[in-house]
Amino acid sequence: MIFSLVNISLIIGILLVLAGIWAAITQKNIIKIIIGFSLFDTGIHIIMVALGYVKNNTAPILDSENLRTGTADKIVDPIPQALVLTAIVIGLGVTALMLVYALKMYREKKSLNINSFKDLKW
Amino acid sequence: MDTIWIKLLFSLLTIFIVLNYGLLLQGVVRKIGARVGRRYGIRWYQPWIDIIKNYAKRTKITHGIMYYIAPAFRLTGGIGLLLFMPVIYGTDMFSNFSFTGDLLLLLYFQFFGVLGMALGAAEGGHPYSAMGVSRGLAQVTAYELTLTLGIIAIAVQYQTLSITEIVAAQQGGIANWTIITNPLAGIALMLAFLAAMGRSPFDVVIAPQEIPIGPPTEFHSGLLGVLQLNRAIFPAAKLILFMNLLFGGATDWGTLIIKTFLIYMWSVFVGVAFPRFRVDQSIRWYLFIPLIIGVLAVLFMKF
Amino acid sequence: MVTPIYIIVALLGVAFALGFSGQKQIKAAGTLALGALAFSLFVSLEWLIGLYTETYKSTQIFTAGVNPPFSINLFMGTGEALFTTLINFIGLFGGLYLFNKLIKKGRSTFIALLMLIMGLNVVVMTRDMFNLFVFLEISSVATAGLIILNQNKKSLAAGFKYIIATGIIAGILLIGIIFMYRFTGSLNIDDIPTGNLLMIKGFGTAIFLILTSILLELKPFPANGWGLDVYQGTHAGISVFISAASGTALLYVLYKFIPLMSPSFAFALSLVGGLTFIASNLLGLKQTHPNRLLGYSSIGQIGLVVLVIGLAPYLGDKFEYIAIALLGTHVFAKAGLFWISGIIQKDNIRKWTILRKNKLLTILFGVFMLALLGFPPFPSFFGKWELITELAGNGFISWMVIILLGSFLEAVYLFRWLGYILKLEAAKKELQPISWNKYLPIIISAILLIASGFGMSYLHEHAKFINYIPLIVAAAFILIDRLPVFIKNTLAIASVGLWYYMMYPDLEEFRLIFATIFLVGGIITLLAGYAYKGKRQGFYPMALIMFAGLGGLIEAKTTLEFFFAWELMTIGSYFLIIRGKKSISHALSYMLFSLGGAYAILAAFGLATVNNTGISLDILANLNIYAPAIFILLAIGFMTKTASLGLHIWLPGAHAEAETDVSPMVSAILLKAGLFGLIVMMIKMGDQMIFGLSISYFLGWLGVFTAIIGNLMAALQEDAKRLLAYSSIGVLGYALFGLALMSHLGWLGATSIAITHFMFKTTLFLAIGGVVWRLKTKNMYQMGGLIKKMPFSFISVLISIIVLAGIPPLTGFAGKWLFFNAIMEKGWYLQGALISFAGVIAFLYCFRLIHSVFLGQLKDEHRNVKEAPFWILLPQYIILGVLIIFSAFPNSLLKPIGEFITPYLPNGALVWDGQMAYSLYGYWNGELIMYAVVGIFVAVLLWIIFWNRKIKKVKQFDIVYAAERPFLPETTHYAYNFFAHYKKAVGILAQPMISNFWEGVSEIGHSVSDKIRRIYNGSGQAYLIHIIGFIVIIFLFTFGGF
Repeated sequence: MIFSLVNISLIIGILLVLAGIWAAITQKNIIKIIIGFSLFDTGIHIIMVALGYVKNNTAPILDSENLRTGTADKIVDPIPQALVLTAIVIGLGVTALMLVYALKMYREKKSLNINSFKDLKW
Repeated sequence: MDTIWIKLLFSLLTIFIVLNYGLLLQGVVRKIGARVGRRYGIRWYQPWIDIIKNYAKRTKITHGIMYYIAPAFRLTGGIGLLLFMPVIYGTDMFSNFSFTGDLLLLLYFQFFGVLGMALGAAEGGHPYSAMGVSRGLAQVTAYELTLTLGIIAIAVQYQTLSITEIVAAQQGGIANWTIITNPLAGIALMLAFLAAMGRSPFDVVIAPQEIPIGPPTEFHSGLLGVLQLNRAIFPAAKLILFMNLLFGGATDWGTLIIKTFLIYMWSVFVGVAFPRFRVDQSIRWYLFIPLIIGVLAVLFMKF
Repeated sequence: MVTPIYIIVALLGVAFALGFSGQKQIKAAGTLALGALAFSLFVSLEWLIGLYTETYKSTQIFTAGVNPPFSINLFMGTGEALFTTLINFIGLFGGLYLFNKLIKKGRSTFIALLMLIMGLNVVVMTRDMFNLFVFLEISSVATAGLIILNQNKKSLAAGFKYIIATGIIAGILLIGIIFMYRFTGSLNIDDIPTGNLLMIKGFGTAIFLILTSILLELKPFPANGWGLDVYQGTHAGISVFISAASGTALLYVLYKFIPLMSPSFAFALSLVGGLTFIASNLLGLKQTHPNRLLGYSSIGQIGLVVLVIGLAPYLGDKFEYIAIALLGTHVFAKAGLFWISGIIQKDNIRKWTILRKNKLLTILFGVFMLALLGFPPFPSFFGKWELITELAGNGFISWMVIILLGSFLEAVYLFRWLGYILKLEAAKKELQPISWNKYLPIIISAILLIASGFGMSYLHEHAKFINYIPLIVAAAFILIDRLPVFIKNTLAIASVGLWYYMMYPDLEEFRLIFATIFLVGGIITLLAGYAYKGKRQGFYPMALIMFAGLGGLIEAKTTLEFFFAWELMTIGSYFLIIRGKKSISHALSYMLFSLGGAYAILAAFGLATVNNTGISLDILANLNIYAPAIFILLAIGFMTKTASLGLHIWLPGAHAEAETDVSPMVSAILLKAGLFGLIVMMIKMGDQMIFGLSISYFLGWLGVFTAIIGNLMAALQEDAKRLLAYSSIGVLGYALFGLALMSHLGWLGATSIAITHFMFKTTLFLAIGGVVWRLKTKNMYQMGGLIKKMPFSFISVLISIIVLAGIPPLTGFAGKWLFFNAIMEKGWYLQGALISFAGVIAFLYCFRLIHSVFLGQLKDEHRNVKEAPFWILLPQYIILGVLIIFSAFPNSLLKPIGEFITPYLPNGALVWDGQMAYSLYGYWNGELIMYAVVGIFVAVLLWIIFWNRKIKKVKQFDIVYAAERPFLPETTHYAYNFFAHYKKAVGILAQPMISNFWEGVSEIGHSVSDKIRRIYNGSGQAYLIHIIGFIVIIFLFTFGGF
């Protein structure tokens, strides 16, 4: 089934990754580039979740209810979700750092155009 | 012990004969040159008179030690060249010191006097001297190449570097002379011979007209006299060398005189017929036709 | 035994704790941070030692109380211990170095540093891929924070490019990891099936993405603009972390993934590594910014290690040795260089002259640079040696070429830089005082570098036999560099003499001859050193290193020892040459030609091990493959030292600009090393054929043209020392010709020329050096008439040139005579004639030299010149005495040499009868000729003296000068352009065609470099495109898209 939830999320994720990269490569405004990055990250996160999803299974929360009903083996793999959480945190950190850079760069040159920062080359 | 003294005696005799022969040759050739030029010319015994005159001079000056001993180098070069060569083939005594070294010794020893002379001339401080030396050395390099090629061709032909053996191989008639049996090498050597004798068209070293007598410019009196002795011996020694290499050598003094005189005439004829080359011209000339002939001579021997 | 987890605990804990410190306790906080780093270093070092001595066992460290793959596990093995040690070393000493700076910027910088080092530690140790991602990101973020330690527009721009590049790369890594998890159900490296799995769809992609992103973190060409900009933009102290620590950690990650690589990816990896190595070194050619230049070098070195990792399967059990040698050198040397750069703080390598005000730092700079370039005794020397040998063993010729070419390019810019530092116009400013915490890291790095060099050589099966004592003695002279010349010179002579004495009983045949030339010759030239006053700092260590190399060549039993000695000799002589005036370009070209030659030798020795056992020099004698190629490579290598035509352009300048007593060392002695090499090679290998033609036939012609052109050029020089230098080229041309004859007489001639050239060139260089010493000019036309002022020097020159010119009765004639006989025997008539032509050209410069300097007109300003110093004359007269003996008794020289040669080339040996020598063609008696000539000369001289008893000495200008009086020595001294006519006639041969050729090569290299580096246009977005393009290309390559 092509239009399963997994596939749709995968496609969306990949599109987001591509859109993010496209933005990072083509946009001249540093803030827009950073937004592109966030898109890129988000796309990856969606891909991760999509890959970890198993249809009809429950959330990976192991509690007494599961154990009692014997549905413990029906939960989805928790690891991708854990990974996503971690990745989101890291992505947040990186984005924050980028924004700090953007701020400092703006203070230095009064410009947010990426082309103003080509002093170092060759 | 006795043989050494006898050897020395014969050496002195050789030197004496060759010296006088050389002086005679000088006088005669200058006479011929003058007659060709429709002049009367000097008396044939003028070279002896010049030497006596120079030795009789009372004023004698020196520019320094090298200047002073240069004539000794020069004359040693001439005499050495003569004595390291078998002058008369077949006689032990007139072979002098040829047992100490072969053709190569002669080839390199001829520079002994040249170098010493050049040094003395240079110490004289006269720019013309240095100029003459500079020209002379430059020209030497050019004809030396042809000369070497010719000599290699001959050495290969006879499979020896010993002059005595080279002469021995040419005995028995004109047909055995190197100039006949190995004409390419002969031509190469005879072309090199022209510059070796320092006559026109290769006489820019001394350049009698514009730089009065080149390297010896500053020499005079007794010192010049020594040089003049050498100027008689050295060319004669070279003539004997070429005679030995190409024309069968000589078994007695008469043959020697006839042969060397005729060989000399070759350079005299060329000299009176052709005007002088500049140094760069003569170098280029030698590095073209004579060089090709020399190379052919060598290649001919190789294949 | 401390569990490695405490590394993380300590670093993380202190980092958190620092958050509570205020700005007031910043110093304490900083010290605490350094303490944490020191603790980490201690832990990893303890593990390293423990594992190496096998008191500890490799350990898994589990976390969270659950077994992997459900929890993260770390691993501590020898590799991890070594790499964390390296990283923590850089962390601790990098932190110490930056201490003041970090304190000024506040506690957060310490936190960033701690996080960076912790991240890298975990990256090395972890076996969990997601964990790898997390800690890579942590260290990236920390790095990005540290980059703006110096906050300015450059570091900001660089940092931003760094973040976006590493961000994208990390994203790709993450995708790869999640795919990996999807297909294997595990994040643990150890659970992933190995083998050629790349072709499994999906899974292959996952591995590909992981490997490629790690590769991208290592800044492969061309997707590395962001890395270069960071090197240039940030503080050099930060670059140390990026280059030495991060690079090291990521290489280890790549190493951990080796089992996952498919052959095609491994091949792609080595291609990328090789390309990066060559390209970044090529691009370095045009670079003038020191930090960016070091960046290029750094990226190149890491590329080399990547190449090695890619080739790991072929390198067998040598892989680790090679990789560690190369990487270890990179870490210490690059860190040291960046640290020095941080002290100098100049943005152009031409401004680095200020460095030489600080001798210690200059020495350290040299140490790091030589180490980077793989000179002995540093680890990379052994690493490169093994690498080349292994590559040759696998038949990987093109990889050898890539590695040697890249190393060569690196040498070009590094030695140019060194030249600038040592010789460019000095800066006026003094260096700021340097605090101990900046010195210490640099010094320790250098010490570790040297120590690890000895360590690596001890670990090597063959290198452990290398005799280090001469090198150590030479190095010891650095310590006594402050003593006066007299003491040092005496010690130097004593040590060289002692070595010769100890070596003497083992010497035989050619080794005896050349040992005598090298070491006894060394002593004689060192005697001239007594003429120097003061301290002459830096001279003795370098001279002794050169002699250590030369002696080492003699002692060498294996190809490794030989190459080791060869390189030592090159270093020592390079530093001797660069001591001269105006020596920058000459020393550089000397070094480049030498290195090119050394690499040719290295390649040849590598090839020689193929299908052979051991590395004894004797393997050259039984080659069963590649023999002609080895012959040619060795010949090229040795001919760079003999300065044969085409490889000679370094020589004239280098020898002419050298100091008075250095010129004979590098000319009369050093050049013989090349001859020695050629002789060793020819003895072992005989002649070789290529396409049915004998190679020695070509060498013969090469010798001929070298002799002609060398002599011709010599005749056209105005500079006396340059004239002598060209003359050396010419004479060595004869020697090459003689060796190429491959006959008894040819070798006899070549050897006797080698010996006499040593003697007459030493005297000539010393005599002319003495003149230059007094006159302060090298131009001959400015001299003249010095015979009256310096008679002893004159006599020395006179005798030397008579020997040189080969005029009987002196011993030079022996060489001419032998050659003539040899060519007759061999049938090389044309070559023979041309060689003798070259000999006649030698007359030109001999006369020019002695005339223009000593004869002619004395100049007014030289009327008070004194004779050369005694100590410069003494060695000359020692040699002249020997020369005269050899001249009168030629069999004292030639007979023993002939006996040495006979075992190898028995045919056509001379027959001796007393002093009479007979060959097949001729005969010659040196003794009798000497008596005859001296007899005639004395007789004639007496005649002259008799006739000129009352001769009067006249003044300088009393000469017969047509109608006018000469009034100036300058206008009367005929010296300038002495052979103008000759130039006109044959000057076409003296055009600098070969120099032009090499200059053209250099120009092309630099232009290409300049063109290619334009891809780094400074735009972070362009760099992203490079990264994505790189991924696509590698993808296509790995999966067979191409």
